[in-house]
Amino acid sequence: MRAYELMKETFFRKMYIYIVHLSWFAVYGLFLMLEPEEDGFYRTFFIWGGFFLPLTLSAGIFGDDISSGRICVLATRPLWLGELYIYRLLGLSVQGGVHFILAGGLLLIIHRFTGIGSTDNLGSWLFSCWLLFNTWAALSTSLSVVVKRAYNFVFLLAAFLFFGFLNSILSWNSPDDTTTEVINAFVRYVCPPFALLTKMAQGEYAKYSLIVGKYSAIKAVACVTHTIVLTVFYGLVGVLVLNRRQFAGSRE
Amino acid sequence: MIYTNNKQAAVVECKGLTKIYKRFLASQSKAVCALKNISLSVAEGQIVGLIGPNGAGKSTLLNLMAGLIFPTAGCVRVCGYPARSIEARKGLGYMPEHPAFLGRYSAWATLRYHGALLGLSRQAACVQIDKWNEQLQMDEYIDRPCGDFSQGMKQRLALAIALMSDPRFLLLDEPSNGLDPIGIIQLRDLLKKLRDAGTAIVISSHRLGELEKLTSDYIFLYRGEVVSFGDKITAGQVGRLRVELASNGIDVAQRLLSPGKLLSVSETELVIAVGDDNEAPDIVRSLAEGGARITSVLLQREDIENVFLRLYNERA
Repeated sequence: MRAYELMKETFFRKMYIYIVHLSWFAVYGLFLMLEPEEDGFYRTFFIWGGFFLPLTLSAGIFGDDISSGRICVLATRPLWLGELYIYRLLGLSVQGGVHFILAGGLLLIIHRFTGIGSTDNLGSWLFSCWLLFNTWAALSTSLSVVVKRAYNFVFLLAAFLFFGFLNSILSWNSPDDTTTEVINAFVRYVCPPFALLTKMAQGEYAKYSLIVGKYSAIKAVACVTHTIVLTVFYGLVGVLVLNRRQFAGSRE
Repeated sequence: MIYTNNKQAAVVECKGLTKIYKRFLASQSKAVCALKNISLSVAEGQIVGLIGPNGAGKSTLLNLMAGLIFPTAGCVRVCGYPARSIEARKGLGYMPEHPAFLGRYSAWATLRYHGALLGLSRQAACVQIDKWNEQLQMDEYIDRPCGDFSQGMKQRLALAIALMSDPRFLLLDEPSNGLDPIGIIQLRDLLKKLRDAGTAIVISSHRLGELEKLTSDYIFLYRGEVVSFGDKITAGQVGRLRVELASNGIDVAQRLLSPGKLLSVSETELVIAVGDDNEAPDIVRSLAEGGARITSVLLQREDIENVFLRLYNERA
């Protein structure tokens, strides 16, 4: 019952959660209708959904409780504080899973009746998106344990934009520069293998290499493992911080 | 300083409690010592009022007792366990000064949510919800979303949440905030019932008049230190004995009373400071035996507001 309530809370805590889901469905639909010939272009938005969705859905997931003082009551309940974190993250994960299943279902229906879009590798595509979703959700939720309100969303988005901008500038000027390599290496290890997951979902992972051999299956497993390891790592950081964090009531 | 009530088992024990707030990367000189070496205990069936001016360290002490923050030195034990442990939290009910809830959840859903966090089964949670709904009279709005609640409604809901676990130790921060007079009376009666059932209760409040109706045990904090504690504040308080005389007040006072005891003197009225209730009859007897023609006697006990002011002025 505890797990159920904490997971359910992630679905119902804010009104905007529904708006976010519906907006993304609208974006998928829009690009599916606008670019039906460009195979896979609309699918990019599924992957982007794996990034933006967890950020928006986890905005203030702990930060709101910390700023309102609600966390003070939650933290005096007889439970291991890590449970709060784990069940909320699981709630987000279920939410992401439901989102991608519904999106995939809609895509199947549209494809079936109109012939628009493609359903090739749809399962692995959605699985990749969900893996990405979980990793970013864990990172964002852990950040929310530290910062108040919905600043976890703001900080992660700012960091993403900063690194994205820096990387494009450096890659454009000097693609083989050491700094670019360092940034790429950093991004490669601390972020989920975004490009690799994209290719994996498209069935093209054989062309790309992470660090292991030439067999596509191994690379796919490496991709998935990397993402899961990152999710667990970010999750553990969040659990540890939550257990060591001090809470003070709101003085508003 | 240690305050203990030996008649009952201690539910909360603080030993050498010190809390220093340090700013991240700030120098040592900018650290703020919120509590200094505080030792006290609260027994079961005892209501203790936590009083003191703003910034005295009341919230810090409450947060330490609730296990929300870590002490810099010393320890807090609740029901025999370290304050932040799960075992300690099983016996703890905490009501913050500004209760906050998910705005989209109804009061009923909020209570069920907290029942789940307490580890209650669905049925047990429903029993507890019905019990506290009835006791705190939340029937009218139990199905309404918390986002629409007034301060008084929030207070009742927060109290119900704190009481859902049938706690042995109840921490209340300004519990009567926003309550209407009926609500305040109901709250007082409820707290007395809980006290009689053996619950240890610590109430932090600036409403001294309300506290006085509940308890005579206080912890007076000033700048992180316990200035006075237990029922000494009220039991040892300075009262006023107002004696009306037919005549010769000044003469009688000069002959029979020490100047330090006299607060005011006139021919027909003497106001005398008394340390405790036993002192008053002795003074009246000595006045009568000394020839004073007493027409009336009135013993005025100092109320908690005056005690607060006296303690504050002594320190400040």
